[in-house]
Amino acid sequence: MYADLLNALPNVFAWTNFAAVIIGVIAGIVVGAMPGLSATMAISVLVPFTFGLEPLVALGLMAGIYNGAMYGGAIPAVLLRIPGTPAAVATTFDGYPMAQKGEGGFALQVAVVSSALGGIASAFALMLLAPPLSRVTLLFGPSEVFWVAVFGLASIIFLLGGNPIKGLISACFGVFVSVIGSDPIYGNDRFTFGQLEMLDGINIVILLVGLYALPPVIDLLETPLKTDGVNSSKLGTESIWKALPRMKGFGMTWLRGSFIGIWIGILPGAGGSMAAFMSYNEARRTSKTPETWGEGEPEGVAAAEVANNADTASALIPALTLGIPGTAVAAVMLGGLLVHGLQPGPMLFRDNPDIVFGFMWQFLFGAILLVLLGGSLATNSFARLLNLPRPLLGSVIIVLMLIGVYSIHGRMFDVYLMLGFGAIGWVMDRLKFPLPPVVLGLILGGFAEENLRLALRIGRGDPMVLFQNTTSLILVALTIAVIVGPTLKKRFVDGRKKA
Amino acid sequence: MPQSRKSRLTRPETLTAFGIVVVSAGFLIPTFELRAISALLPAAMLIGLIVLSVLLLVYDQRKAANGEESQPMTQSPRRVIGAFLLIVTYALATDFIGFYVSTVTTIPLVAWLFGYRSPVGLAIATVIVVGIIWAIFDFGMSQEFPAGRFWGH
Repeated sequence: MYADLLNALPNVFAWTNFAAVIIGVIAGIVVGAMPGLSATMAISVLVPFTFGLEPLVALGLMAGIYNGAMYGGAIPAVLLRIPGTPAAVATTFDGYPMAQKGEGGFALQVAVVSSALGGIASAFALMLLAPPLSRVTLLFGPSEVFWVAVFGLASIIFLLGGNPIKGLISACFGVFVSVIGSDPIYGNDRFTFGQLEMLDGINIVILLVGLYALPPVIDLLETPLKTDGVNSSKLGTESIWKALPRMKGFGMTWLRGSFIGIWIGILPGAGGSMAAFMSYNEARRTSKTPETWGEGEPEGVAAAEVANNADTASALIPALTLGIPGTAVAAVMLGGLLVHGLQPGPMLFRDNPDIVFGFMWQFLFGAILLVLLGGSLATNSFARLLNLPRPLLGSVIIVLMLIGVYSIHGRMFDVYLMLGFGAIGWVMDRLKFPLPPVVLGLILGGFAEENLRLALRIGRGDPMVLFQNTTSLILVALTIAVIVGPTLKKRFVDGRKKA
Repeated sequence: MPQSRKSRLTRPETLTAFGIVVVSAGFLIPTFELRAISALLPAAMLIGLIVLSVLLLVYDQRKAANGEESQPMTQSPRRVIGAFLLIVTYALATDFIGFYVSTVTTIPLVAWLFGYRSPVGLAIATVIVVGIIWAIFDFGMSQEFPAGRFWGH
């Protein structure tokens, strides 16, 4: 089972694949350091540019960006008290007070070491847990696969929190978009309105760029961020190796934060910010000096950063094995896999072991590279990025979005479609409709429909075929648990409060 | 205090829910011409969207009746509309007058209009971005960009 993992290692060291991870990490740190930009947006914009690239080069870029962005978010969190990514909110609690005391450089070095350790732990979890899980899922037939798709959608809708009605609307919209185009079995045109461009359906990249890249660009232009500028010469950075001895008491915090991050990453719908908050709270609760937390405690930065990086690769465990992403970034990465003809799920491990295991190694190297690329010189340079003018950045991203979407099929129709999805995405974003269910609906919709039809054919039209084996029944039970669970939990908590 | 009927009906969530109901109902019409098995999933999703949107509408109106204020979708609607119109105009310009002309105009124009007013910075950024795009895509990858319908391409 793990032999494929070792066999994939030499491919990762091909210079193009390795260079892709390095470029990805640098790009990720840049993106993460810019408030308003996120790993999800960066990967959405990047995906169309990877069409002509070898899969491992493309996946290396994505793995690097994801790892880099999670650390990059700490830079403005520490220097400006503005989290670069949502996952860096908890980093501001102690990072910013440290910067005010003239220890911003040390805070960023704690962040980079903790991020790297979290990323390494997460990559190992992916390597250890994904292969056996994929073996189990290989035994699934059409009805089980259909229920896996339903379970995936239900978990991302109901575990994501927020208003479940909005989550359901998002998912229905995603599934509806997935049926546009020719019917895969009978060849009927569905909702193409005579447009030849729509016969093959909606390319996932068009949807991803529209939903995830356009709203942040509008935000960049809508609210110009005013900072007094960051003077990186006052950061007080020293060599990362000199700073390491000051972190020797963080071992337990790193270990606990890694476990929390990995666990949260595996759970669909949770994500890095929840992992960082939980890890921070646990570390503070068990600290001997909780009164110093919030006033510039380096361990607080370590707790938050280790956990938000530990959820990166682990979010891909359900994504790669079952096709259910744990986070929005993982959902976008699934889109990236599909672009290269790699259908997430059990077959991925059987048919493309060199790519899927190579991707796991790239996550590990991306995390290790963080320490090398996030040293004192780099930290000072990345800190200067905060002075980049946002309107200029916005206009450049607009051009990149257009190029990326246009180059998929070489037609402007896709660009107009992307703008339509972008407008919908902006409204959804402002009204707090979750976006991951749309992407998952698009990915799983066609997949679910195909397997539902296949199961019904096997059962000669009898819908009871969907409930005739133990695995299907377990998946149905899990789906019901995911739907009813949050409501029951809320009632239980409310009941205890009243009592 | 409960809101007036007009302001209750113009709440963003109410308007969005109403819009989803209308659009979904419109998309339901073509499903009648499809085979039953082909129409099953799309029709289920569209009906689902209608039912859920009605629930969202009722939920939002209840909040309005309880005097809960709705959050505005944006603090600066002019900037949002302006940004979106500029992006659409850029796409149309690319289609009709060509990619490079539109890009050379759009990068400085958008940045200028939204607050970055350094002519030297704008010129340098435009040259660098367009130069890199040309070198990577046009020269390196032989990617053809729209030359513009106006010029007969």
